[in-house]
Amino acid sequence: MERRFLKTSFVILGAILAVSFILLPVHAEARNIKVGIIDCYSGPAAVFCEDALNGFKLALEEINKKGVCGGKIEFTTRDTKFKVDIALNMAKELVMREKVDILVGTINSGAALAVSDAVAKKEKVPFMVWISKTERITGEKGHRYVFSTGENTAMAGKAGGVALSKKPYVKYWVGGDDYSYGHDIANAAWRNLKALKPEVKMIGKSWWKPGEPDLSPYITAILGAKPDAVIFCTGGRSMTNIMKAVKATGMAEKLPIWIHTGTDHAVLKPLGAEGPEGVMGTMDYHFYYPETAANMAFVEAFQAAYGGPPGFPAFHGYITAHFIAEAYKKAGSVNTEKFIDALEGLKIASPAGELEMRACDHQVTLPMYLGVTKMSTKYGCVISTDIITMTGEEVLPTCEEIAKARGK
Amino acid sequence: MGQTFTFAALGSQFLVGLSRAMILFIISAGMSFVLGVLRVPNVAHGSLYMIGAFSAFSITNLLGGGSTGFWLALILAPLVVALVSLIAERSLFCHLYEREHLMLLLFTFALMLILGDLVKMVWGADYRSIMAPELLQGSVNIFDSPFPRYNLFLLIIGPLVGIGLLLFSNKTKIGKIARAAAVDREMVGAIGINVSWVFAFAFVLGCFLAGLGGALVSPTMSVAIGMDHDIIMEAFLIVTIGGLGNMWGALVGSLIFGLTQAFGVLFWPQFAIVFPYIAVVIVLTWKPRGMLKSVW
Repeated sequence: MERRFLKTSFVILGAILAVSFILLPVHAEARNIKVGIIDCYSGPAAVFCEDALNGFKLALEEINKKGVCGGKIEFTTRDTKFKVDIALNMAKELVMREKVDILVGTINSGAALAVSDAVAKKEKVPFMVWISKTERITGEKGHRYVFSTGENTAMAGKAGGVALSKKPYVKYWVGGDDYSYGHDIANAAWRNLKALKPEVKMIGKSWWKPGEPDLSPYITAILGAKPDAVIFCTGGRSMTNIMKAVKATGMAEKLPIWIHTGTDHAVLKPLGAEGPEGVMGTMDYHFYYPETAANMAFVEAFQAAYGGPPGFPAFHGYITAHFIAEAYKKAGSVNTEKFIDALEGLKIASPAGELEMRACDHQVTLPMYLGVTKMSTKYGCVISTDIITMTGEEVLPTCEEIAKARGK
Repeated sequence: MGQTFTFAALGSQFLVGLSRAMILFIISAGMSFVLGVLRVPNVAHGSLYMIGAFSAFSITNLLGGGSTGFWLALILAPLVVALVSLIAERSLFCHLYEREHLMLLLFTFALMLILGDLVKMVWGADYRSIMAPELLQGSVNIFDSPFPRYNLFLLIIGPLVGIGLLLFSNKTKIGKIARAAAVDREMVGAIGINVSWVFAFAFVLGCFLAGLGGALVSPTMSVAIGMDHDIIMEAFLIVTIGGLGNMWGALVGSLIFGLTQAFGVLFWPQFAIVFPYIAVVIVLTWKPRGMLKSVW
């Protein structure tokens, strides 16, 4: 046992030495910044995580050409298999053994919260969350060592609430996946809508299990109840299922529907001509909008490298790398506390315009794009059109609300 | 909730529930058949259903993604699954029939994990989607509410499969042998019938139905990894409340499951998820061995 351990240690040591020789030809004295990525690279969630990783890698290519603090940014990945315990072990291993400077991940909200609490906070290692959408990460569970470069349910719900409050609908039906993401979106949307327009009424709610294969019974029941508008809170596989059911029942022609990520290209592309038109959706990134030079350049580079357009996770991965690089440059050295101080309030240029890492909650001020699905002959599927941009400041909870949520 | 439900609302909800029950019937009848004849609780049945859906996706796309592609996929995808199951039966299952149930359960569970990973290797982890043929797109108005044409199609195909199974088990020789083997397999072997091939046939037929179920649901939902886990639980419950190994029990179980879910959605939408499971609890308390005669 001991011999095997020794042997493994030697192999690992050898590998580390070999890697450092390859990567450190010029600045032997300046050290590289090590990023440890924990995310789900097996199972259904892998599509999103690989997209995020690709965005991250693309940014590193640009960043490492010039280098950061005399060194480069390198990374290593660990597969969490969408499990909280594995994510925790991997994060600890990366911190203890690999001695990473920063942790990055993950799509699983439970895992993100656990790592934030048990590793980042305890070991004082910065943790940047890039896909998980739970608002608790930078909300009530936020702390000095955790950051989010993704959108969250509070932002999505506020975007939906603000958008719907400008419409004439009064009677609403809310339906969604019966797990935390679905409920969080529903709560946030309803809280904001009710605050902005007190006369709205919720006439009914339906919850189904995530991935529920046949949603038609739910839709016929909702149509029977005759609400003015419907809020659907679905994610993952249920997104496709709800879009298909909406199309098959012709629901979008009868009722206005808002679905956060209802305009996500990853959902709409596989549906092709079967994507329903007229569904309102919100999204924090589109590769086809805004048509700015910065976005087009990013999309082109991504497309050339990975053979397809970037999804929202790729965008998050890309900005994560740039936030890391810029913060170290600003800090001037590879020092964790200086890095955090530099990252707080840092502004970077991104494909979606200037973004800020808010100092009060460590949440990136991502914009939200509200649009309506419409068939596009260019892409062969429905895409978001008539897009209205809501700025990050508009959709984020205020710093006072965050302070209240954290019980200060 | 104090609201009254019109006849129309009840009617349309009944129909959507019925169409869901048809899918569940096709899948669980296959599972029940394998359970009855082979005494194998096949946990990998859900994986075969998933392979059916993915095959339907590939075949449809290979043939240009149009209506013809879909109709051919509906026939070919279950045959792909049948082929996979034939290989599995001849190479693995046929050596294991004499083992105890726990072993078989563990074995099929392992097979489910392996097949799940194989699907990921072949098709990747992306969400896939295929379109229903033009004829079955959109909806018709029944009871004053839109009813998807595709569900109407399911209402026709379900009974057709049922009649096919009825004819098979009552009119064909191999069907009769399979039924006999379900009741007393030693006796069937004793009168000189090659039980091994009867078993192989029964297994392949059961899996064919799983593949057919997978191909049939593929236009209504996202074809993705994880489908296997979603269906296997429901299929097991249906087979249990219907009566283990009894194909008509699978029909009764599917009707109970599909209809309680549809009406649950109407009466108490927030807690609709639990309705079918409450029905399962009630049935098993009242009739612990299932609604119809269990072969065990």
